[in-house]
Amino acid sequence: MNIDFSLLITEISLAILGLTVFTLGLILPAKSSQKGLGTFSLCGLLVILALTIASWGNQGETLGGMYLADYFTSFFKILSLTALILVILGSKNYVNSQIENHLEYYSTLIFATLGMIIMFSAGDFITLYLGLELMTISFIVLTSFRRTNGKSLEAGMKYLLLAGLSSAVLLYGLSLVYGAAGTVFIKEIAGNIAQGYFNPLLIVGLAMLIAGFGFKISAAPFHMWAPDVYEGAPTPVTAFLAVGSKAASFAVLIRVFLGAFLEMQEQWTMLIAFLAALSMLIGNLTAFAQTNIKRMLAFSSIAQAGYILVGLVAANEAGIKGVMFYSFIYVFATIGAFTVVSEVYNKTGSDDIADYAGLSQRAPLAAVVLLISMLSMAGIPPLAGFTGKYYLFITVVQDYLWLVYLGLILSMVSVYYYLRVVLVMFRDEPADPAPLKLGSTASLTLWLTLAATLFLGIYPWPLAKLANTVAIAFLAGL
Amino acid sequence: MKQLQGCADMENSLELIAFFLLAGSLLTGALMVVTLKNLVNSVLSLIVVFFSLAGIFILLNADFLAAVQVLVYAGGVCIMLVFGVMLVQRKDMRESNPVNRRFLIAAPLTGALFLLIGLVAAKSPWVKEAGEVPENTIEHLAPILLRDYVIPFEAVAILLTVALTGVLLLVKEVKDNGRSS
Amino acid sequence: MSVWLGILFFILAGFAFSAIGLGLSFLIHPRSKNRFKLETYECGLPTIGPTWVQFKTQYFTYALIFVIFDVEVLYLYPWAVSFTQLGFSGLVKMFIFIFILVLGLWYAWKEGALEWR
Repeated sequence: MNIDFSLLITEISLAILGLTVFTLGLILPAKSSQKGLGTFSLCGLLVILALTIASWGNQGETLGGMYLADYFTSFFKILSLTALILVILGSKNYVNSQIENHLEYYSTLIFATLGMIIMFSAGDFITLYLGLELMTISFIVLTSFRRTNGKSLEAGMKYLLLAGLSSAVLLYGLSLVYGAAGTVFIKEIAGNIAQGYFNPLLIVGLAMLIAGFGFKISAAPFHMWAPDVYEGAPTPVTAFLAVGSKAASFAVLIRVFLGAFLEMQEQWTMLIAFLAALSMLIGNLTAFAQTNIKRMLAFSSIAQAGYILVGLVAANEAGIKGVMFYSFIYVFATIGAFTVVSEVYNKTGSDDIADYAGLSQRAPLAAVVLLISMLSMAGIPPLAGFTGKYYLFITVVQDYLWLVYLGLILSMVSVYYYLRVVLVMFRDEPADPAPLKLGSTASLTLWLTLAATLFLGIYPWPLAKLANTVAIAFLAGL
Repeated sequence: MKQLQGCADMENSLELIAFFLLAGSLLTGALMVVTLKNLVNSVLSLIVVFFSLAGIFILLNADFLAAVQVLVYAGGVCIMLVFGVMLVQRKDMRESNPVNRRFLIAAPLTGALFLLIGLVAAKSPWVKEAGEVPENTIEHLAPILLRDYVIPFEAVAILLTVALTGVLLLVKEVKDNGRSS
Repeated sequence: MSVWLGILFFILAGFAFSAIGLGLSFLIHPRSKNRFKLETYECGLPTIGPTWVQFKTQYFTYALIFVIFDVEVLYLYPWAVSFTQLGFSGLVKMFIFIFILVLGLWYAWKEGALEWR
């Protein structure tokens, strides 16, 4: 069993980059010279992103099907690398002022991304679980990074305990599936089920898997950790947790549920539909009461998880396409919003929505980006979020019409709490009218996310077509 | 032939006795971990749990796993837990593992889940691997680890390094706080 | 399997041995009850304060580093057993593994986690 290294180009270069950043951080003497690590990682990541895009057509599987490289993984690799690049670009100011540990911060972020990539490229449960743990443990460390802040430590503690619990549940589910199907290979499980092999234990295992992954994507009723962790974690980490961890977990959900359990579709679609509905309800309705913007965005991200789950309910190409499209546009909207939050926190030291009063006068770019990001999340027509929601909900119109109605009503409801922030930013007079100067890299991130959200809203066809091709290839390759 | 059969029966029943003894001490230990009032005693019962688990691994012919269980869990992890417990200062160690009333909700729920899974597991046909367990499992382990599972294997190294850096970062902070306050 | 059954009997004998010893001493020891019997030391000065004290965090750091490298040894062991069988590629893979962990050790060293303060 030889390794085909050309398929592992992203993983290997990412590991090397992470280790190089780590070593450089150890060698470089002064704390001040470590600031260059961010730029270094950024350059490296851009190169890796280019390599990944260049090796798009390079498909196959290596190590006897234990590790997969197909269009589907390439798509999500590009997604997570893009998210990481945007997060690092947008967080430079924040890191310099709030987090002083450059070496640990950048290397852990890179390793978390490596974990995600290993997770959704895995062809068997063991590789999948190790990728998942690499990601989760990196995130536990990152969450408690703001070491002098009690809330950050509390968030880290909560994430540690609940991530441990969810990992245990997931692992138990994986072992039950292994016991029932007799193999850890996702493809072989599908083969066994297709041969009419059926075991009630598989359903118990499935339920456990849904619980375990439900935690990672923060779908209700497994969402309890999200608000506290999102609030306490350093804001760039929150952004990456909301985007990267969630997108990667959705990729794994598709890989496992469509890859292995497609034949048992009728057993789990109803459960997923229920989770989707509950997430939308709880996320959107609880977001009303929030006065802290990070908590509000946390509840909104629970609701977004509900929307994305709708694509999984459909369990066909259109559904996969919807999930992929929405995950991608969600990257830009979320990172845009959280970059504004971290820049504002950097200057004012507050995450309260009330302190965003008059942001349109103090930092027009930040206010506009927050406006566009939030409207995109709410799904207002010319923006990317609308197209994404359209692709998701169109897939279930026939079978789950109630879900579509629920989604539409709750999207309308969500406009209210997003607009509340917008009103505060644009209507209220600022307490301190001094202009809020944004960092140059943060401004660049904001411009990029703004452009992407607008562009993908007005002209979504290239990405939609790409997602469609990938989804068809994914289902054909099963 | 008959004698051989008898021999196997004898061995099976002894194996069964060993299993029940080990499972009994495992479950008792686990119950003690959660019910004992003193956290230090809980950690000590956890060591009992780990040792019993190692015994069960041996019964399943997984000697290497049993060695791992003793080396890492009963050795390393428990020492770390003891230090962790001793790090945290509290008024009375005898009341350091409080029980709250939520177990009234949790116990029936977990009990029901246990029953459900147990019933399903008892009714399900299990896939039995026909492969003979080799005499020396460790020799067969390394090729699997280093050839087939090389990606997770190297990921473990990165995982350990991330865990180490993260932990040292947080512990350093605890010290700094202690000094400044 | 039968090899391990010996160990089972050994464990049983061990339990029995300690149980008999404790049981016998319980039966035959002289009984005198007073409150000094419950003190930490039966003679000398009475102790002040609780016996449970807070440890230094340094112990914890050491324990953590120990666990990490304990796990590393665990992976080294099967590799060492079938070292010749795995050949050069096995050596390279193991060196990558160790190299990554040595970076971690370097970090611990640089952060001063290995020094007693």
